[in-house]
Amino acid sequence: MARFIQFTLMRAVMSLFTLLTVSLIVFSLMELVPGNCAERYLAFKNTQGSQITIDDIKAEERRLGLDQPFLKRWTDWVGNVFFKGEFGDSCILRLDINQLLSDKFWISLGICLAALVVAYLIAIPVGIYSATTKSAVANNSLRFVSYLGLALPNFLLALIIMLISTVLFGDSLTGLFSAEYRDAPWSVDKFLDFLSRAWLPIFILGWSATAFALQTVRALMLDEVGKLYVTAASARGISGSKLLWRYPARHAMGPVINSLGFDLNRIFNELPVVALILTLTEAGALLIESLARSNDQQLAGAIIFLLTASIVLVNFVTDILLALMDPRVRKGLIGA
Amino acid sequence: MSLLSRKSKSDDSQALKEAYFTASQGQLIRARFRQNKAAMVAAWALTLMILMGFFAPFLSPYSPDIAGRDKEYENGAPQMPKFWDENGFSARPFLYTMERERSIKTNFRWVTTENREKRRYVELFVRDWEYSYIDLDWDLPGDFFDVDVKALTTDLHLFGISEGGIHLFGTDASGKDIYSRTLHAINTSLAVGTLGVLISFVLALIIGGVAGYFGGWIDSVLQMITDAIRTVPPIPLFMALAAFMPDSWSSETRFFFIASILGLIGWPTLARRIRTHLLTERSQEYVLAAELCGASSSHVIRRHLLPSFTSYIIVDLMITFPYVVRSETALSFIGLGLTDPVNSLGSLMQSVSKADVILNYQWYFIPVLFFIAFVLAFVFVGDGLRDAADPYSKSKK
Repeated sequence: MARFIQFTLMRAVMSLFTLLTVSLIVFSLMELVPGNCAERYLAFKNTQGSQITIDDIKAEERRLGLDQPFLKRWTDWVGNVFFKGEFGDSCILRLDINQLLSDKFWISLGICLAALVVAYLIAIPVGIYSATTKSAVANNSLRFVSYLGLALPNFLLALIIMLISTVLFGDSLTGLFSAEYRDAPWSVDKFLDFLSRAWLPIFILGWSATAFALQTVRALMLDEVGKLYVTAASARGISGSKLLWRYPARHAMGPVINSLGFDLNRIFNELPVVALILTLTEAGALLIESLARSNDQQLAGAIIFLLTASIVLVNFVTDILLALMDPRVRKGLIGA
Repeated sequence: MSLLSRKSKSDDSQALKEAYFTASQGQLIRARFRQNKAAMVAAWALTLMILMGFFAPFLSPYSPDIAGRDKEYENGAPQMPKFWDENGFSARPFLYTMERERSIKTNFRWVTTENREKRRYVELFVRDWEYSYIDLDWDLPGDFFDVDVKALTTDLHLFGISEGGIHLFGTDASGKDIYSRTLHAINTSLAVGTLGVLISFVLALIIGGVAGYFGGWIDSVLQMITDAIRTVPPIPLFMALAAFMPDSWSSETRFFFIASILGLIGWPTLARRIRTHLLTERSQEYVLAAELCGASSSHVIRRHLLPSFTSYIIVDLMITFPYVVRSETALSFIGLGLTDPVNSLGSLMQSVSKADVILNYQWYFIPVLFFIAFVLAFVFVGDGLRDAADPYSKSKK
């Protein structure tokens, strides 16, 4: 047991290190943007009609602590994020980022995780089937569909579905809430309404992740099915789906669980683009808003950091899960 | 060259067997690749598209920028040349003349009618707008780096039409020919992809090479950094970087910037693969055997490690390519990448998401089909090459 705790701690430390590196990357990027927060805000004020001078900018920089050296500001930022969970204020909107993001981030994360679950719910059975089937038609068509998943961009799929639903049902299926629930507090009805609309972004986000997962599962199963222990098991008289699920599938699942974090990464990739098309109002849309329109570096940095942090967390959880599930690792660690 | 297929008959002559056993790695890979029908079809399609991209100015009757717009035919539908109609057959394909009229009869709106009596004939090898095959006009930041070279200038085009315009894929809102734009877009996407892949390849070779060659703690540290970068979702990161571009930059500068960003972020996966290859190959017995025979390390690297390695690298590059193109397309689609005067597949797709276009001008989707075909072809060829380069993959027949 002690070794298991040691293993967990080791993983936690490594995850923290990854997070620190990522925060350094994100923070340096935000620094590289031409112009800083003070200039940007005052430039914005200038367009509203008030006269500003160099002294105003200097004063604003001092107020925001931008005259401090880079490392000091980074450690401050990281300290605030790690210990207080605060990302500071947004550059342009002058609002607390936590307040701005709270609901939106959780909704995005929920949609993405749901997309991940859907992707594997489809990919695992279909992948196992395609690895064991002998029918060339089924194999080739599955291969084609999974290649299409790579080639057909998610936004195009979204467009096609929107086009069909506009023509057939007269509802473009955009947005996450119906008009009457948009500003209402969370309730059972609102949640049901949310579900009735969220299936489309979930499906679209999961589309290319499904294609990837399908290929992974199929390749892993193909590797395992030919192995001797499977032959031995079938010689003992086990056959059909029982044979597949008890022996090769369990082996193939290890690497699959291991790659969950990167699949989530892939889904996050699509988030902003899909958000733009389906006019969702969550973190992805906010990211586009902060980058493309207002150059709000604080907000963009916070969103990218949060997305990455959730991937790191998923990686950490899957590492621990894998250690518990795989008897070879488990026995080495716990000795049971 | 069908070494493998003949080999399976096994009763063939000794010479063929010998040809199989003495074949070089390249010959074996080529023979295995030829057996994969899907990959072969994709390879031909890809070659065709690359040629189309490369000879885009020659193949397109109109300039893809605003200079080549057709004021008389904005948002016009695709025009397909015909060989015959009720007025008889013609060996030379033709289009009808479109007549635009605005008068009291048409309620003062522009109404276009087709005059079937007046035929316009397609002509081959016409002289029209001028272009150069080597046209480097880079306005990079800093005057010192500016390049302006023009060579192989010509104005010859494959086809044109006697009068008016011919628009095989229709025109867009400002009357630009979508066919010409698509061809040029393929060219741009290829260039972005090549540049991005090259940059990430060089970075990956250095970082992965150092990690794999030295091993030990250097490897561990580099791996940790690589993994940290790999966890950041690339598209949001691309977006953050692309947002730095000042609006004042010229389209060439933007192009280089986007390609470099794609390269700078794309390296971790490649670097990891190179490191793994190096680590496994370095401890192989044939390397040890060569070393025991007294081969110098440069000989080992040149004659043994590199040949075992290049096919994997080429395959990896082929597989990475469509993702770079896809990222560029996604970026341009959001409006953060290449923008309108540059014709990339992404910037052509930008207008597709408008409801107006979806319902009325479906020919805007033609570049999208090219994009899908392009990426699919690359994926199929990459996969076929991967299977062909793997000496242990048995063809499942």
